[in-house]
Amino acid sequence: MFGLGGSSSAASSGPVNPAQIEMAVAELDMITDVFNRLVSSCHAKCISTRYSEPDLNKGESVCVDRCVAKYFDVNKKVGERLQTMGGVAQQSGSFGGGH
Amino acid sequence: MSSAQAPPPASAAPAKPPSGLVAALEYTGVPKSWLSKRPRLPSRNWMIFISVVSSITYLYVDDRRQCKAIRQEYIDKVKHLSEEKLDSLDMPRKIKVFACKWPGDDEYDRSMKYFKKYVKPIFVAAAVDYELHNGNQHGALAHLLANKIKERRREEAGIATPSTSMALPGHPQSPEQVRRKELEGGTVIVGRHTFKEYMLGLRRGWTEDLAIVDEERELAKALEDDGVFDEPELPETMHADLGESDAPAPALNTQPSPIIFSPLQQMRQSAPLPPRTPAQTSSPPPFAAPVPPPDAIPTQPPILLVPFVNRLGFFNVPMMIVDFFNERRKVREGAKAAYALVISQTRDMHGSSLNVPLELQSADATDLDFDVENERYFRSSYAKRPEEIAKARANYYKELPAKITIARELARGVREPTKDETAHPPPTEVELRAERMKKEKRWREDEEAWKFLKAGERVVWDERFDGKLSLFVDPVGLGVGNLEMGDKV
Repeated sequence: MFGLGGSSSAASSGPVNPAQIEMAVAELDMITDVFNRLVSSCHAKCISTRYSEPDLNKGESVCVDRCVAKYFDVNKKVGERLQTMGGVAQQSGSFGGGH
Repeated sequence: MSSAQAPPPASAAPAKPPSGLVAALEYTGVPKSWLSKRPRLPSRNWMIFISVVSSITYLYVDDRRQCKAIRQEYIDKVKHLSEEKLDSLDMPRKIKVFACKWPGDDEYDRSMKYFKKYVKPIFVAAAVDYELHNGNQHGALAHLLANKIKERRREEAGIATPSTSMALPGHPQSPEQVRRKELEGGTVIVGRHTFKEYMLGLRRGWTEDLAIVDEERELAKALEDDGVFDEPELPETMHADLGESDAPAPALNTQPSPIIFSPLQQMRQSAPLPPRTPAQTSSPPPFAAPVPPPDAIPTQPPILLVPFVNRLGFFNVPMMIVDFFNERRKVREGAKAAYALVISQTRDMHGSSLNVPLELQSADATDLDFDVENERYFRSSYAKRPEEIAKARANYYKELPAKITIARELARGVREPTKDETAHPPPTEVELRAERMKKEKRWREDEEAWKFLKAGERVVWDERFDGKLSLFVDPVGLGVGNLEMGDKV
């Protein structure tokens, strides 16, 4: 599921392009980072530490589902907002737009 | 002298030494006059103040305490359902929640807030997953539902445009599995206005034909011939520049080197566009014969009808105050409704009085009359909505030619812009057209919706719905932990 964005660029060219590899590595790092944070955050919030059985129960499952959905949503929105802010800063010629 | 000098020293002090509490406090430093005074009630005014304030506070505090108790009682009844096991690739039971804008209200999420406050906690405790759909304008929900149903009909007829959904593990689900999951789920409808929109959407979806209709294009064509933007003397025809009305292209695409802050953004850019656009860009194959609406509709998931009142207006303020001190009633109603859905006992919905069983029959009582007594809380000004819209329209079209001439003069350079106009540039012709189309669209949708939503209008029904719609009922005689009846977990 995560490979949709990156795999298209990596699989197309035969001779490997170091720049593309760099990009792919950076993207993979970002994705892994997002995943790790997501797992630790939703685990802390949803799954109780009293392990009475190996399977997740329904309450925990629903909680994890909604936690993950909300996390992705917020992540995307924050990324878009940062991007527009970064774009505005680039266009106006000043970096690190203060506010 | 001696007699005057001899007030018996015993009379200055009381006959017996002070006892009890007074004795204990005598040496603590409390002024003696306080210890010998008789306690008195406060004055009459203070009494009034204290009694009024304390009774109001008590009403509030007691009401909120009872609310908590009621909520906790229902949560405890369903809590055990959330402690059952769920396989890691299974999905929990999922219900759809519909809530719409109350007729006459400006806020569009009052019904949704009611749901979130009074009904949702029980679902959360019972581990029932929910999807919220809010109808932000009148008629929006009917539109949304009708489109969804038509999509499904297109899929079944085989003329659907395939949607690009990602294949998650456990997710290449066949349509039958999806339908079965839906039937196990349920639908929550908050309020009679939502019920009206829901039934309207249902009937429209199963009655209209399946051609893909782009309403914006249709409206644009209708407005083009309207002659509002025509010039009186010059015979030039101005082409409606409608491509601009539907897309300020996302800023992401126009930047030379976008900084990606989140891998999910990048996925959204490179992933294919949502399925709506392929239908527009690739011309849909013209149907040889239009697909007729089916004679029988599939069984729909059971519906939970939640009564809801939105009190609006100045003369309802006393009732609003009473409601403020009576939240326990709403908590109990919401929790009972949620409990009924969780326990999942259903019965058929009766739409026409022909098959209403005898015990329910009373002059024309059908299930479609759900909550009809709360229709009088629809804002009374809503009954005059078409006139309001007509007036707004007349006003707008009266002021429009002036704006058009200004825009055209500035665009053709006939005159220089004044100082005010350079500071606040007036809308160009393209913007005026776009604005006009937006307003017309909103007015027409509102008028359409008013016909079905106004107070006194019955909920629509179709004979094909007989036996396919069912309602959740309050479980009768079920105690805690008794789960044999229709348990869908």
